[in-house]
Amino acid sequence: MRMPLALAAAAALVAAAAAPLRAHHAFAAEFDGTKPVKLTGTVTKMEWINPHAWLHMDVKGTDGKVVAWMVEGGAPNALLRRGWNRRSVPPGTVVTVEGFRAKDGSTRASGGAVTLPDGTKLFIGASPDEGK
Amino acid sequence: MRARTLHVRGVRRRDPRRTGFVRWGALQADLLIVVALALTVSACQGAGTTAAEGWTPSRTPDGQPDLQGIWTNYTATPFEVPDPSDTPRLYAGDPDGTGRGTGPSSFLNDTIDRKLTKERSLVVDPPSGRVPIMPWAEEQRTARLLSIQDHYANHTPWERCITRGVPGGIFPTGYGSGYQILQGPGYVAIVYEMIHEARIIPTDGRAHPGSGIRLWNGDSRGRWEGDTLVVDITNYNDKGNIATNAAAQRVRAIPQTETLHVVERFTRVDENTLSYQATIEDPTVFTGPWTVAMTLQREPDYKIFEYACHEGNLAIPNTLSAGRARDRAR
Repeated sequence: MRMPLALAAAAALVAAAAAPLRAHHAFAAEFDGTKPVKLTGTVTKMEWINPHAWLHMDVKGTDGKVVAWMVEGGAPNALLRRGWNRRSVPPGTVVTVEGFRAKDGSTRASGGAVTLPDGTKLFIGASPDEGK
Repeated sequence: MRARTLHVRGVRRRDPRRTGFVRWGALQADLLIVVALALTVSACQGAGTTAAEGWTPSRTPDGQPDLQGIWTNYTATPFEVPDPSDTPRLYAGDPDGTGRGTGPSSFLNDTIDRKLTKERSLVVDPPSGRVPIMPWAEEQRTARLLSIQDHYANHTPWERCITRGVPGGIFPTGYGSGYQILQGPGYVAIVYEMIHEARIIPTDGRAHPGSGIRLWNGDSRGRWEGDTLVVDITNYNDKGNIATNAAAQRVRAIPQTETLHVVERFTRVDENTLSYQATIEDPTVFTGPWTVAMTLQREPDYKIFEYACHEGNLAIPNTLSAGRARDRAR
């Protein structure tokens, strides 16, 4: 990876700001950053559990078959502080979630942007960059 | 102590393989980063321990300096002064660099809208800002971080929802960094928001228990030196880590042993600022003592939410499951 010094310096500032923000467990051991996934489906349950919340949703595939997915979010206390609450995604809400697939091939993902029916985006876990 | 075991695929093996995880090409940007940081950061040496001139803390009814309140320590200060030999991706649990900035490393978090302080490093002694870690301890750290898909015990105690440790529980991280201090006659209590830990520290002069008592968080005994609460901690077990969070970088997952001895100093330097220092020595792990210093800010409106870490800790089984999928693919 070669980059001009000015760009490297800019990257340095970003990395320095990000460094202390790391949280509970290692993403890369569990999820595959090379396998992005975009899921549209119906929320069945928002599980407000520690250390990370999980959004459960039913996703209809191209074959018409409905598959249950689990999407990992941030810690409940962190989600509350960034604007989530119990009314954010009630069961039955149709949402689109962008994230990365579990490495074990199961229907689990690490969540990023969650787009609500009115177009509002909430970030459940991963970087906002992934929601763009 | 050096014969600690490493858990690999369910089998307890004696010690670690040495790994050549450093991929210089991929890490070139990181190296430039640390050099740039080293050149540009201020030489601030962190928090002092004396009260602001003309200010003294109020007293509790029984006469202790009053440290009570809700405090936070969100910061952008790196744990150590960065060095070109650092391998940040490894420390963050992403040795291959495939995380793409996703997941815990970039969670939107409680630092949004906060003006974060950024000083040279939390490590203020040695003056280099580098922790004097013995090579065997770094090798064990590396071997474990590269094997977290193989055994739950290779994860840090934080990921296992056991503890972030003492003093590790107060090392700044990106969310849940609230602390409540409560005082009563003969005691100081500290409630940690992150994985809802609590310490009850006697300040009545009692001695540490016998050496047969070994604890994840050691045994804390407090005393007052002027307006400073000094806490002496011994009786650690050899299961924990001196730091568990990735923000601690190279020091993350470095083992603690039974010879660990920590002295913490809490000084309220003004109404809204608490100075904190911890001096850490462990002749089994470090070639000399080192000191971390930081300030905590009083934040009366901050709400400490319950963080019952183990209620849904799916990260461990999911990580092991990813490891088994990796094995099948081989």
